[in-house]
Amino acid sequence: MRRVLALAVVLVLAALMMAGVNQLPPPGQADQPVHRHVAADYVAGGAQAGGAGNLVTSVLLHYRALDTYGEVVVIFAALLGVLLVRSTGGPPTRPPSRLVPVSPVVDQVVRLMTPFIALFALFMIVEGHVLPGGGFQGGVVLGALMILLSLILGPERLRGLLPIGAVTWVRAAAPLVFLLCALAGLGLAGWWFALPDPGWLREFVLVALELAIGFGAAAALTGFFLSLAVDGHH
Amino acid sequence: MSPNDVFDLLILTLLIGCALAIARLKDLAAAVVLFSIYSFALCLLWVHRGAPDVAMTEAAVGAGITAVLFFYALTRTGRREK
Repeated sequence: MRRVLALAVVLVLAALMMAGVNQLPPPGQADQPVHRHVAADYVAGGAQAGGAGNLVTSVLLHYRALDTYGEVVVIFAALLGVLLVRSTGGPPTRPPSRLVPVSPVVDQVVRLMTPFIALFALFMIVEGHVLPGGGFQGGVVLGALMILLSLILGPERLRGLLPIGAVTWVRAAAPLVFLLCALAGLGLAGWWFALPDPGWLREFVLVALELAIGFGAAAALTGFFLSLAVDGHH
Repeated sequence: MSPNDVFDLLILTLLIGCALAIARLKDLAAAVVLFSIYSFALCLLWVHRGAPDVAMTEAAVGAGITAVLFFYALTRTGRREK
């Protein structure tokens, strides 16, 4: 009986959803209502107004810079939450057990690829305002590289790379740089996150924001991973 | 049906197949691998639909990082669903 009822509910919901989806305009047509109002202006002038060749970056860092700031703070707060839970007790964890030794193939390949992955991540971050990609994507690649390295070197080695004080600053870099850029816009051009006028200063602010997002994301991901991999009581 | 539609249809079939398999599997490690495949297929779909920024995020986060974090979480819990 319950199964029949569940099936009936699912079927009714699916029918409603399909009816709704059927009424949507076909994708990719420029003359649909959603594309004719503000969106048209953004597409037409967004790249210039944002000072970025990549329209997506222009929207992220110019039109909705305040929302992006919120997202950066959310990631930072998530990292703080995980670190807090892991460092104040929590369930006792087994010591990190290395069940299988790292295969020499994996070891060599990771060592060989590390400089290239790092360069690619940096390229994505720094060129994010011109090409597809950007701070967050590059930062995730950088974080993945850190995780790969901690898999072959052991998490403790990775932890010793940066002094503990520097780690704190890198983790907090993204919200801090965003705040600085917001204040710079307020002081130089009159409103929060306004891009200041000379072209080189605009580009400087954009790259600073991308770098902040990138290193913030990389630090957060590495922090999540290390807090899982290493016992939190330290 | 144009070749573009055929490509989309293939990817969408793969996505639905992966999603159903993930929901049914009891072996969580296999589910994580399938989840990675799902993300990668979705990444191809984003590229094909002209959204390279989203595709990069999908590849890095969906296919890369989440799998590693899920695997680590599995080593702390258990591999099989009860």
